[in-house]
Amino acid sequence: MARAFLGEMELLILLAVTRLGDDAYGVPIARELLNLAGRDVAVGSIYAALDRLEQKNFVTSALGEPTAARGGRAKRYFHVTPSGLRAIIGTRAALTRMWNGIALPEGAGL
Amino acid sequence: MNERKPPRLAIWTLQHGLLRDNEALTGDLIERFKSGQSPVWFWKQVYIAVLLGLWTEIRRHWPHFAYAFAGITFPQLFWKAVDGLPGALHWWALPWPWSQIALEVIRKLAFALMALPVLAVGLTIRREFDWRALFRTALLNLTLITMYKYLLDYLLDVPGLSHQVNSHLVAFTFPSVFLVAVPFCSFLVSAWMGCRSLTPPIRRRA
Repeated sequence: MARAFLGEMELLILLAVTRLGDDAYGVPIARELLNLAGRDVAVGSIYAALDRLEQKNFVTSALGEPTAARGGRAKRYFHVTPSGLRAIIGTRAALTRMWNGIALPEGAGL
Repeated sequence: MNERKPPRLAIWTLQHGLLRDNEALTGDLIERFKSGQSPVWFWKQVYIAVLLGLWTEIRRHWPHFAYAFAGITFPQLFWKAVDGLPGALHWWALPWPWSQIALEVIRKLAFALMALPVLAVGLTIRREFDWRALFRTALLNLTLITMYKYLLDYLLDVPGLSHQVNSHLVAFTFPSVFLVAVPFCSFLVSAWMGCRSLTPPIRRRA
């Protein structure tokens, strides 16, 4: 099977979905990205990334019940699949290997 | 509960903006709007979502766009060969209605079929090749191109003017972009409808 790679935004969204567990839909995912990663991402961009992740079989989605607070629209809940989890772990391992041995200059602003 | 209402036109745009899954996205935007976001924010989100939806559609249906592009390019490249087809078939020697068909339909048929190999290759690359889809596309395109040509003739065939003057009238009345855009859309719509397959609906959570 060909290896599927994660872009930065895809990785952040996968992590947000993993963190949120059963409550992972558009609004909380956007909130997690803003609060934890400092990224103010358009909701449409989040869905575009989630669609790509679903095509790669890294997440699955299911519609909830429509609610009046959302103008009668349902929430679309996302779950990370085992292959999605493997992709996250693989990306973290690759990043850790790449970071090993890098000495940042003093005052790099980090 | 907050009773603020999001801009109606923005909701309408979102629902008709080429997006596949707009129910959840619309709901999310309404939820965030009711929690204090501004109408400008709402419109910005809709604008981004529609553009992304359009781009997704182009990526998803790239064989259709390649077919449409080939459809408007190939006739320019092979114009002379196509133009001589009725003559090559000796249309004047054929019995009616074949003479009429050879004269009227054969060029349009050639245009409709010319770009079909591009669509076939695209569908094969995507492992979606289907003879029926190609047949439906060619038939739809032939119908649309014929309608377009006759509509143009009907609208601009001003009685008492020569063919040359009428041609100038067409060029004057309709900008070139229109004369390219309409056949492009005709190819695109034909491929879109001809190759349409049902996408599985998103299941509801139990």
